[in-house]
Amino acid sequence: MDADPRHYEHVLLGNDEIHSVVLSYLVHNCFGETVESFTSCTGLKLPANCLEDMEKRKRIFHFAIEGKALKAIEMTEELSRDLLEKNTDLHFELLSLHYVDLVSSRKCTEALEFAQSKLAPFGKVEKYVKKLEDFMALLAYEEPEKSPMFHLLSLEYRQHVADSLNRAILVHVNLSSHSAMERLIQQTAVVRQCLNQEQGKDALSSFSLQDFLKS
Amino acid sequence: MGGVEDETEPSRKRIRLSHEVLRDLANGLSIVGSNPDFSGDLMARSLPIKGDEEIVGSKGVIKRVEFVRIITQALYSLGYENSGARLQEESGVSLQSSVVNLLIQQVLNGKWNESLATLKSIGLLDESIIKSASFLILEQKYFELLDDDKVMDALKTLRMEITPLSINNARVREISWSILFPVKFVHVDSSNFSTTRAKSRAKLLAELQKLLPPHVMIPDRRLEHLVEQALILQRDTCMFHNSEDNVMSLYKDHQCGRDQIPSRTLQVLEAHNDEVWFLQFSHDGKCLASASNDRTTIIWEVDSHGDLSVKHKLSGHQKPVSSMSWSPDDSQILTCGVEENVRRWDASSGECLHVYEKAGYGFVSCAWFPDGKSMCLGVNDKSICMWDLEGKELQCWKGQRILKISDLQVMNDGKQIISTCRESSILLLDVEAKVERLIEEDQAITSFSLSRDNRFLLVNLLNQEIHLWNIEGEVKLVAKYKGHKRTCFLIRSCFGGLEEAFIASGSEDSQVYIWHRGSGELIQALPGHSGVVNCVAWNPANSHMLASASDDHTIRIWGLNDLKMKHKGPANHCNGVHYCNRKTDRGETWL
Repeated sequence: MDADPRHYEHVLLGNDEIHSVVLSYLVHNCFGETVESFTSCTGLKLPANCLEDMEKRKRIFHFAIEGKALKAIEMTEELSRDLLEKNTDLHFELLSLHYVDLVSSRKCTEALEFAQSKLAPFGKVEKYVKKLEDFMALLAYEEPEKSPMFHLLSLEYRQHVADSLNRAILVHVNLSSHSAMERLIQQTAVVRQCLNQEQGKDALSSFSLQDFLKS
Repeated sequence: MGGVEDETEPSRKRIRLSHEVLRDLANGLSIVGSNPDFSGDLMARSLPIKGDEEIVGSKGVIKRVEFVRIITQALYSLGYENSGARLQEESGVSLQSSVVNLLIQQVLNGKWNESLATLKSIGLLDESIIKSASFLILEQKYFELLDDDKVMDALKTLRMEITPLSINNARVREISWSILFPVKFVHVDSSNFSTTRAKSRAKLLAELQKLLPPHVMIPDRRLEHLVEQALILQRDTCMFHNSEDNVMSLYKDHQCGRDQIPSRTLQVLEAHNDEVWFLQFSHDGKCLASASNDRTTIIWEVDSHGDLSVKHKLSGHQKPVSSMSWSPDDSQILTCGVEENVRRWDASSGECLHVYEKAGYGFVSCAWFPDGKSMCLGVNDKSICMWDLEGKELQCWKGQRILKISDLQVMNDGKQIISTCRESSILLLDVEAKVERLIEEDQAITSFSLSRDNRFLLVNLLNQEIHLWNIEGEVKLVAKYKGHKRTCFLIRSCFGGLEEAFIASGSEDSQVYIWHRGSGELIQALPGHSGVVNCVAWNPANSHMLASASDDHTIRIWGLNDLKMKHKGPANHCNGVHYCNRKTDRGETWL
């Protein structure tokens, strides 16, 4: 049983609200050209420096996704001196990206040296120990892709780190870490779940964006 | 058998003798008192004995080859290398195959690659053992390289040799950590370095030996282990084992005699005017407290000869004293009158320090908490409460049915309280975790007693059985003891003896019963009292002293039959004489 679509008519939405949802999504994901055309079509105003910031963020994001972590770190530090200092988890993950890059290129000696100089300090903190153990274990394998830790070499991991970096930078410039669209979809799913719990199992199915889009 | 006595035909007799001697030799008899020249000759030739049996020993379970090998191993471990070598030579049985010897040498000298090759060349090993053993050896190689600061070599070993074994990925992960953070041994000087290294290699050898099948590499100290096993078994089956100084010998099977169990009345203590109901030794065994229907409690002192004399008579209760408890440090004692108040006394001065009352109610039992600062009291309104020494109530547990005369014990860690609850169950209440466990019996429970290590509970039942329960974790019934008589009165039993290996109990037939705890066998039934024996207590500091309290108003102290060793002192301590009425011997008077 789904919510009756006629109920939707009671919800009033202004164009401005919808436009800002779309804009926040575009800005979040650094679609610079699209943002420009969108703002000119709708007449929305962008805050100062928005486009330049987006451009920088985009480049940082791409460096991270490609595994060029050192570049990403360099640019981030240009942007904000203490961002990485304050986000040690993120810092660790970025450094580990570089390390993983060295390991996959089979540059063991360099990888070890890098680990000794940059990663070792994290090893003194309890919460990083387990992750660091995983990374070090990669060195034990001649074919790290076949080791139990192969997920650390994957695109998914790089995406995860790049995403975290993106969100951290957004927060730094006082924007939200999640786009409005994301939050709305997440909220719908959670609300649906709560209702399910209250009304019993089969009252409403869990929210599926795909199904919603098809309906 | 040919004798040497007949000198008439020396030459013929001699030849015959030599054949007989040879035959005797072959049968394993030693040459005794025969011709010295011959015996010397025979010895020098050290002929391999023909007809070597595969099996030795009368039971047919010992294989000669295995027997010789473990003896050889024992010789080497005792340091008798020459003898070890000689035995291998003489018996034709070698301790290890030469391959294994080579492996041992290579491991001790750190020749890792060679040792790996040798490992593979020992036939009889399956693939997984070879891999596990190789893993251990390579691990040692890896750590030694790290120790020598050869990090890249260690990394190479890890990548090329260890990981490809494809076993134990978790361990690979663990040791990879050391590439980044090598654990270094602190070497004070070079000699220290070599000993630590030698020790760690020896440890590796011990680990390898555990992996390899025992016939390839005999586990260390095998003979000692077998002998110890036999000795321990003997000791465990020794039913009367009650004395520390019975050292075990290999020359004969260990068997203590009945004389190790207290079985003779050494003293009869007559100081109460009525039935004596309860006895308890202090934790240090230096005092005994007895409680009686005559409303008093007496503290007796045990002197250095093991004789007891009255130290204090504690009066004040208006009701008979049914239960008491020594404080953890033995400096104080709590006594409880039946459904009356609880009194706290100073054990050395005999002074009453405090009287505890609960308005409108009476107490039925008392027990100290191990911190000595609070006590646990059973109330006749079916609750148990915890009071501090000032009389303030700290906690209360309601809802348990406490019987009129019920037992209460607090465990040594102060976390659990044990109490009779309902007719046929015992409650084990965990105070902190608020968890309850129950021991359920089919019969009514009359009393219980806790072992010193708090792992076991002895429960007396209406049907004349005593049940032993293991109360660690899930409660389970472990043993039953029978033989004594109990039909209408409350009888108590206790643990006692060396390591609490015995169970003692009172009985309505006026005897004291003693069982061997492990086997459940009744060892003694001691007559002497002329009334129901209500309670027994075994001195925790003296495994030879047992006390029993009876309706005949007396307390008997039981000890060993043979006191020659123990007593040195006044002339009236001589063996074989029963004591009665000590007051006439010592001229003291009792009230």
